[in-house]
Amino acid sequence: MKARRIDRVLLYGTVVLTCAMLLFPVYWLFITAISPPDTLRSFPPRLWPEIAQWQTFATVTGQRPIGLWLWNSTIAALGAVAISMAVSVFAGYSLSRFRVRGGNSLGLFILTAKMLPATLLVIPLFGIFRSVDMIGSLWSIILAHSTLIVPFTTWMLKGYFDTIPRELEQAAMVDGCSPLGALFRVILPVATPGLAATALYGFVLSWSDYAYARTFLTNAQTNWTANLGITTMKGEYITDWNEISAASILVALPIIVIYLFLERYLVGGLTAGAEK
Amino acid sequence: MKSTSRYSLARPSRRHWLGYLLLAPAVLLIALIIVYPLLVSLDLSFQNVGIPRLGQTRRPFTTVNYERLFASAEFWNACWVTFKLVVIVTFLCSLLGLATALLVNNKFKGRSLARLFVALPWAIPEVIAVVIFAWIFDSSFGLMNWLLVSLGLSDQMINWFSDPQAAFAVVCAVMIWKGYPFVSIMALAGLQSIPEDFYHAARVDGAGPWQRLVHITLPCLMPVLGVTMVLVMLWVFRDFSIIYVLTGGGPLKATQTLSIMTYEHAFGFFKMGYASAVGIVTLVVCIIASRLLIGRRAESIY
Repeated sequence: MKARRIDRVLLYGTVVLTCAMLLFPVYWLFITAISPPDTLRSFPPRLWPEIAQWQTFATVTGQRPIGLWLWNSTIAALGAVAISMAVSVFAGYSLSRFRVRGGNSLGLFILTAKMLPATLLVIPLFGIFRSVDMIGSLWSIILAHSTLIVPFTTWMLKGYFDTIPRELEQAAMVDGCSPLGALFRVILPVATPGLAATALYGFVLSWSDYAYARTFLTNAQTNWTANLGITTMKGEYITDWNEISAASILVALPIIVIYLFLERYLVGGLTAGAEK
Repeated sequence: MKSTSRYSLARPSRRHWLGYLLLAPAVLLIALIIVYPLLVSLDLSFQNVGIPRLGQTRRPFTTVNYERLFASAEFWNACWVTFKLVVIVTFLCSLLGLATALLVNNKFKGRSLARLFVALPWAIPEVIAVVIFAWIFDSSFGLMNWLLVSLGLSDQMINWFSDPQAAFAVVCAVMIWKGYPFVSIMALAGLQSIPEDFYHAARVDGAGPWQRLVHITLPCLMPVLGVTMVLVMLWVFRDFSIIYVLTGGGPLKATQTLSIMTYEHAFGFFKMGYASAVGIVTLVVCIIASRLLIGRRAESIY
């Protein structure tokens, strides 16, 4: 019995210590944001500031249009997710239920598309967007992010539809539903958790992009996304760590909140293929 | 016969116009924003071109980009850097991810919270992770220098971003911290699908914890872990934002991977033909490497 208790204590100790070490960088970001600037430039570093300086958040939002950056990121992500979901719901359903000529090679191509380096695709996209005068507009980002998202969402949704028994549609069609009606009235409602997980995953993919934003939006300050905005605060030699930390927290917060509350959906999407 | 013309899901092998119709929008979009650009960049890689414009007359076909590429020391250096980074980061990500997954797979109160925390770095955008580590490894007031000096491990402040090896180490650190949660999440899902009976049987046979790990857990986890490792490798291979924001590929190209090299030539020097050639080679290496590593099973795992 005693050995049991020691095991428990050891286990809890290890878990707490591991989490503390792995999450220390996040904690340090937070502490840096609320420390007075002069304590950041002194040794030894303070793991907990004597006076918490919350106004850093106010200062930084006053000096940089962080709200606008977040808004742009949101618009870009929502746009890209909307486009991607609109096409991949149907494509995923088709790949799951129909045997279409070329369906297999399309599936294979989508898998390969997930391996495309963004740094390769960004070059022709730059040429194309330049010719149609889209550089600097949020549309360039929405389309570019769709190249990241569509392969993922199509494949994920196919996986979800595969888990829904065909008998459901058959029953609906016996009751007089058209094939499309069966999709909209029976399958999509059942697949809602899957749809939510997929859309959420796409949102995170878009929100995390830096390469496309850096290339297409650098000269269009009013359209900067959050990630691009943050990197402009990082100087080559001098960086105001106080302010960049506060801004970083504001930018990371939406995704962290999504993760903390909807982790099950996100992880479900990630691991959908792993348990086969 | 009316019934044969009706769409029937009972026979899934049946080809149906609806299948094509549903697929059409996706095919159109993919053709427009992925296939067409890909062909453009393939075409660009065979032209001696700076900044291309659509509708411009095409430059003459040439393989000079590829010739120059394979003859340049910069390219082989980038290959070597990429290789080192892929091996080190994948290995340590897998180790850390597996260890954390095994830890939170234990039964204890609050483990769902522990699971959430252990994989939290996954939710931090790469650019933000770079900001955090750039500050921790700051050369004047960074935490790491203070730690190393006060522990007596270093007698002077290290200038992390001007020393090639130190900069490479920092890049590795950021990528490991960003990458291990993915392994952890996947491994945890794999662990939960191992039947409890296996462990009961092993206990009855007198297997200790170490033997259970080596003879049951790891072999059962291998398929998931293998695929996960390949996905991590591909991520490291293609990653742009972490390295670009952290070091820009420097100092002295010590952290310049193939991805960074592609981008530098395209948008630093505006030699897009040459840059496309680098990118195409990167893509081909990616595809070959992943096919070799996961082979024909590729389809079942994504």
